[in-house]
Amino acid sequence: MLDVFASGFSGLIAGFLHLSMPNIIMIVIGGILLFLGIKKDFEPLLLVPIGFGCILVNIPLADLMEPGGFLRTIYEAGIMTELFPLLIFVGIGAMTDFEPVLENPITFLLGAAGQFGIFLTLALALALGFKELEAVSIGIIGACDGPTAIYVTSQYAPHLLGAVSVAAYSYMSLVPLIQPPIMRALTTEKERTTVMKAHKKTVSPTTKLLFPLVITILGGLIAPKGLPLLGTIMLGNLMRESGAVERLTKASQNEIANVVTLLLGISIGATMDGRVFLQPQTLIVLCLGFIAICLDTACGVFLGKVLYVFTGGKVNPLIGAAGISAFPMSARVVMREGQKYNKKNYLLMHAMGANAGGQIGSVIAAAVMLSVLKGMGII
Amino acid sequence: MDKFTFGMTMLVVGMGGTLLTLGVMSAIMTVLKKVFPYKAESNSENKS
Amino acid sequence: MSVELLSPIPGKVMKVFVKAGETVNEDDEVMRIESMKMENPIYAPASGKITEVLVKENDEVETDDLLLVIED
Repeated sequence: MLDVFASGFSGLIAGFLHLSMPNIIMIVIGGILLFLGIKKDFEPLLLVPIGFGCILVNIPLADLMEPGGFLRTIYEAGIMTELFPLLIFVGIGAMTDFEPVLENPITFLLGAAGQFGIFLTLALALALGFKELEAVSIGIIGACDGPTAIYVTSQYAPHLLGAVSVAAYSYMSLVPLIQPPIMRALTTEKERTTVMKAHKKTVSPTTKLLFPLVITILGGLIAPKGLPLLGTIMLGNLMRESGAVERLTKASQNEIANVVTLLLGISIGATMDGRVFLQPQTLIVLCLGFIAICLDTACGVFLGKVLYVFTGGKVNPLIGAAGISAFPMSARVVMREGQKYNKKNYLLMHAMGANAGGQIGSVIAAAVMLSVLKGMGII
Repeated sequence: MDKFTFGMTMLVVGMGGTLLTLGVMSAIMTVLKKVFPYKAESNSENKS
Repeated sequence: MSVELLSPIPGKVMKVFVKAGETVNEDDEVMRIESMKMENPIYAPASGKITEVLVKENDEVETDDLLLVIED
């Protein structure tokens, strides 16, 4: 009788006995993510579920990520099938107004330059000894776009998923700190004070309606492997611009995006098992991700400078920094920086153009990358 | 294929492809804007 | 000579800090326009006396709408 009591009681202390050091560290890291989300307002919608998922998965014996565990079920249903990032993309498309980039289509190019960090970081990761597909997944942090990073990494380097998505989301919220010093270092006072005239409305509703269709077909033909990403974002945008399916647009922007964000966040957190996450390579991934975003900014500003020269000083190179897809944070950073040097300079709409271009750019970059990999026979 | 070739291909074809694709999109949207100019369709807008 | 301040961005006027008849210095903040969920300070284009303010709080403005006129 007494030993049955004892063995029954041992069931209650087994959790403590199995608690390993990595688990404890990860629970603390989960707590830090929660703190950053709740108290510091760093992407709380993502960091709260990610942080909590991280804590959950590091409590021993609960087996939430073992086959049949509820986190495993969500992970398999939504991340391994790629469904969650794609559903988020429908919402992003429904939320984004691409008018600023259509006002001045040349800003599409800034959106391309803002992705160069992806490829440069990929090369850097290769040089550091990462395998091809790992390097691809690390480079994609430079897309500065959570869903894109998750889409690529979950397919080609699932063991890096936790590190890559935490890097992608936390650097996205650090954009206001990362970008300004680089923007200042690469531009001259004269370039920074360049005033860009406000544009008049020049985009017709027909153009805005045709935009998602044309981009989907063209982009799909060039880079078929990226069509799921491009197609979902453009479907969302078509619904928005058509105005005919307001209920679907609203659902994509709110209910669907919210539900999926919750499930996505918690299953990303669930990949942060201490035994997998606490490795030197995680730290290297975080560093490389940081470098990727710095390189994006530098390349964007550099192309901005090229456009400045080509247009005879009509384009302020600062807007190049907004060519990344952290929308709309990056455009706001550019607006603030621009006004710091010239109070009569209102770069917001121009920067929004580059930023919306960056939104498309990150998807195209990922699509091109996957299609090139496919072409080379690597995937 | 060795890693160096892989890296160079990704750099050249990847960056070039991205820039080219967005360049083509930029050109097409410029043409679309010309074909469907704003004024022709706006009958109720334009307050100023 | 009068200087017109045209709205540099589309958005909603959140605050107007000046009234007709007041004098302002160049680069004083005269109003704040919310655009793309961001508050944007709008600064006076020149020093002088404000002769007219054409918008009020909560007005929606488009790019190039006349916001105010300054006489210097």
